[in-house]
Amino acid sequence: MDGNFSYDPAKNYDEDTMAQQRAIEKEIAESQSLIGSVLSFDDIVEEYAKEDAVYRHKVEDLKTRYKTVRKVRGDGNCFFRAFGFAYLERLLTRPEEYSRFVDITQKSKDKLLALGFPQFTLEDFHDVFMDIVSQVKSPGTVEKLKETFNDQGLSDYFVVYLRLLVSGELQGNEGEYLHFIDGERTVKEFCGQEVEPMGKESDHIHIVALARSVGVPVAVEYMDREGNKCNLLSFSPGEGGEGGQEAQPSLFLLYRPGHYDILYPL
Amino acid sequence: MTSMEKRLQKELQAMTKDPPVGVKVNMESLSSNLSEWVVDIDGATGTLYEGEKFQLGFKFTPRYPFDSPQVMFIGRNIPVHPHIYSNGHICLSILTEDWSPALSVQSVCLSIVSMLSSCKEKKLPPDNAIYVRTCSKDPKKTRWWYHDNSV
Repeated sequence: MDGNFSYDPAKNYDEDTMAQQRAIEKEIAESQSLIGSVLSFDDIVEEYAKEDAVYRHKVEDLKTRYKTVRKVRGDGNCFFRAFGFAYLERLLTRPEEYSRFVDITQKSKDKLLALGFPQFTLEDFHDVFMDIVSQVKSPGTVEKLKETFNDQGLSDYFVVYLRLLVSGELQGNEGEYLHFIDGERTVKEFCGQEVEPMGKESDHIHIVALARSVGVPVAVEYMDREGNKCNLLSFSPGEGGEGGQEAQPSLFLLYRPGHYDILYPL
Repeated sequence: MTSMEKRLQKELQAMTKDPPVGVKVNMESLSSNLSEWVVDIDGATGTLYEGEKFQLGFKFTPRYPFDSPQVMFIGRNIPVHPHIYSNGHICLSILTEDWSPALSVQSVCLSIVSMLSSCKEKKLPPDNAIYVRTCSKDPKKTRWWYHDNSV
């Protein structure tokens, strides 16, 4: 837009605005793969710190607990994609946990159908989801998983199903979540607006619900502008959730405002 | 067959085998790769639109179901409704912002039928004149402002 811009009430600006949004999305897509490679903190410190000197201290803090980080594309689905990839990667070396997860996700389809999700769209996403999960056993490798998660079609199918699991958890236990929802919305409305659509960012409530629906504890390092250290928040499935074998989180994510990446502990 | 066609084949099957009341896919309208559909809608009995017939035009991109379909009323009879513009554009959040790949042609049709059925007074949207004059031909290029959920 040039410096002489003046607003013309008879003109429609929507198309320009949307074209600009698409250009930004395209730029992000070209510069960051859906699931990136493992990087050292030295590789990323410049990028993290350029916005704020506080981040530099926080990276030093992270280095005392984590060895590497894996970047995930910031497209509003990063929490789900990061969780999905990091968890399946972990299952590669944990056959018992893999069996538990397959069992729980197999059963999840009927739970969601009982909640009124439409059968044929749900089945479609469930089938592709289970196919991707089974790659862990086939035998899987990190490289193969990475390839799958970078195939936009497959990767997005996986994300959709995780979103449906979260929606199912929230709607199936409405009473427990109602008070954590902003605005005057029902849990169903919240799910329709903030959980099920692709690209809607995840908040605590999404994380809690996903951890509980699949029985997987997850911990998030919050890298905000306060203090010199990151804040670690653990989300455990707790009593109401599906019981996993692991009480302590084994999945670690890094949150910088608006974005999640994957962390690997020392 | 592309994944869009596969998905739409399944949807078409479900819609023809078990169509919702007052909703019928116009089979002659289907393009060969299924990227365009026309769906006939009957105004429901006991509502302000009883006895009226409408047509919804659907267009799908190759990225469907990740891209939402473009949906608008077409043909001669456009329902007079506070959320439907006289050029056929519909202000309904699941068609843009709240679209989810788990929705379908069927769920969109049901939402639109229910939007018509719950209408208390036939009137155009308050900004109809200016919107129709300035909007794009494609309703998906409008940044909708969703007023309320009451109708």
